[in-house]
Amino acid sequence: MKSALTRRWAALGVAAGLALSLAACSSADSGSTGSSSAAAAPSSAAAPVTSSAAEPVTITLTWWGGDARHERTQQVIDAFEAKYPNITVEPEYTDWNGYWDRLATETAGGNSPDVIQMDMMYLASYAGRGALYDLSSVSSLDLTTLDSTLLGMGTYDGGQYAIPMSATSWAILVNTDLLGQLGLSLPDTETWTWDEFEDFALSITTASGGTVHGTGPQINAYSLDLWARAHGDATFSGGDITIKPETVASYFQLALDWSKSGAMPTAEQYAETATAALDQSDFALGKLAMIFTQSTQGAAYAQAANANVQLVKIPTDDANSTKYAYLKPGMYWSISSQTKHPEEAGLLINFIENDPAAAAILGTERGIPANPAMVDAIQGSLTDAEKQAVAYAESLASVIGPAPEITPNGASAIDTALTRYLQDVLFETSTPLVAAQAFIDEIHQGIEAAQ
Amino acid sequence: MSLMELQALARDRKKAGPRAKEATPDNKAALVFLAPWLIGVAVLTVGPLAASLVLAFTNYNLLQPPKFTGLANFARLLSDTRLHHSLEVTFTYVVIGVPSALAVALLLALLLDKGMRGLAIYRSIFYLPSLLGSSVAIAVLWRLVFGGQGLFNSFLGLIGIDTQKSWIANPSTALGTIILLHVWTFGSSMVIFLAGLRQIPREFYEAAATDGATTWRQFRSITLPLLTPIIFFNLVLGIINAFSAFTQAFVVSNGTGGPSDSTLFYTLYLYQEGFGSYRMGYASALAWLLVVIIGAFTAINFWASRFWVHYED
Repeated sequence: MKSALTRRWAALGVAAGLALSLAACSSADSGSTGSSSAAAAPSSAAAPVTSSAAEPVTITLTWWGGDARHERTQQVIDAFEAKYPNITVEPEYTDWNGYWDRLATETAGGNSPDVIQMDMMYLASYAGRGALYDLSSVSSLDLTTLDSTLLGMGTYDGGQYAIPMSATSWAILVNTDLLGQLGLSLPDTETWTWDEFEDFALSITTASGGTVHGTGPQINAYSLDLWARAHGDATFSGGDITIKPETVASYFQLALDWSKSGAMPTAEQYAETATAALDQSDFALGKLAMIFTQSTQGAAYAQAANANVQLVKIPTDDANSTKYAYLKPGMYWSISSQTKHPEEAGLLINFIENDPAAAAILGTERGIPANPAMVDAIQGSLTDAEKQAVAYAESLASVIGPAPEITPNGASAIDTALTRYLQDVLFETSTPLVAAQAFIDEIHQGIEAAQ
Repeated sequence: MSLMELQALARDRKKAGPRAKEATPDNKAALVFLAPWLIGVAVLTVGPLAASLVLAFTNYNLLQPPKFTGLANFARLLSDTRLHHSLEVTFTYVVIGVPSALAVALLLALLLDKGMRGLAIYRSIFYLPSLLGSSVAIAVLWRLVFGGQGLFNSFLGLIGIDTQKSWIANPSTALGTIILLHVWTFGSSMVIFLAGLRQIPREFYEAAATDGATTWRQFRSITLPLLTPIIFFNLVLGIINAFSAFTQAFVVSNGTGGPSDSTLFYTLYLYQEGFGSYRMGYASALAWLLVVIIGAFTAINFWASRFWVHYED
């Protein structure tokens, strides 16, 4: 008697379980409309809007970042609203990890924020799919103030789809306090080679008895591209990935050698902390004496590690005779093609880029401003670490080459793929050359699928 | 209404045989009361389900309208090595995790069924992980417990094994820690086992004891056979849940499925394809493949059940 019930019960439970698992899958696919965006503007959509329109307008501004950036950006919004009382700016912010999921979902649902903080890896993916507004037709935006090389890195297929906010460069950040404690001092870093770098990193590990490691790996699209350019190659050309497998393999080999010699932590130690937040990273905790990072992150790391830091050039094998380097836009501003208020959105970007009041609030938190006049305007109020970043960028002048091609449409996942294949190499489940070829194939397929 | 009455009712209906459907006022009222739920299911479940089935045949990047590509997404399923790897990871998780969790659940249910003092408290304590197990907080905790400087290594240190090994960050042990997390959430199966054990008439044991059967013999010849419907129920639900596991892997690996793809669960790969690479059409095809896989597993389970599940009819 009871077992008849049990059987029914089982069947019911199975049905419910299946339905639940289906629902769980479908909620990921449905691209349900982003609900958090409160972008709906109160003004009538049909009326043509001009920058002088007195009617109230609401625009949404979205960015990724940490707490410091959220606070500073909110202050800029307050200053902007005070200057343009008819415009209300709704902030929408998150950290990097959730940012792109959310932006894609909102865009798919027709709720895209008006002003979008954009990254080089995603610019072509959004511009190429018609999600961005061509900024050259926005009259409220003054682009003549910006560095032209940087500005060029905001174009896609002839359109100006993004305005660089800042410039950053690749560097090695050294914890000089830690070196002092270990009784070590930096060698000549102006012309050091990769071998000299590894020897020095190893001497740090040895001197500390293994509690501190010399260096972390370098693992992102920017550093791969610099490595390629220093070796007469380039990651992208003609809108596709064209880097040679040997170039990627030698880039992987570098980290593998360091990991084996002890200059760098083991694969396992690295994997554990690879995704840690900045203030929980090994450098911040004093377990790494050197890391590869963007020069403009130096101030944040110095604060997190509570130590004196120094930015030094990355090694080369030809004493810096190749013009391999370039300043990378730290981030951009874009306007959504769904916006009903392009002129007001342009006004906001113009304020952030070109108004000394905004520059004073933002400092170098987003990188060194792309507008040189703003760099001069804030020079006096910079901290030592921030001044170092500015000086470091200037010190690169002799190795700055032509601007690279931006990441093509469909290759936005390049950083995560690179990290994954490096782990395969470090855990020795793959050889550098095999991993390099697989990496190139994967990126190539992504680009092809996006066409 | 008691269970007995309900069963009697069900039996009566069975005897009466199929009846023509009638739209009595009662049925209409029922529909009205069910409406909020029905609308919810239609809009939030059936609608998206149908949409994803359509999207599975398209190239959809979220930013542009979907383009129909026929069976291209399904063709890609065959050659996608990361997909095959994620299947391997997920099958390992299901095949090891589900039976282990059931064994632990059954063992504890048997212990608790002895009717010890404070049973309700123990039951609640053991059930707690089930409520917490799939939460983000626990997954974060797991990272800390099984990290290089984690609690687990401290514990090993106490018993004389000194290690700095990071169980989370090593590709050969990372999946094991997530399986352990799954086993730890045995509570819900345990509660169902307990209910099942209570349904076994005491007279059976008394009679067996009179005949001189040992405890083990009683377990093997009475408890286990009479419990098979419950084991079956837990097994089917466990497999379905395990196949759709996502949170643990997502948090423990920070969304990467790492280290070195060792925790790349199927659903995590689906998520990466859909929201990381903006290949929503392919992700939809992946979702439907999962439906087919789970459906097949369930069907096989039901088919196999007739050889080992004992219904006391």
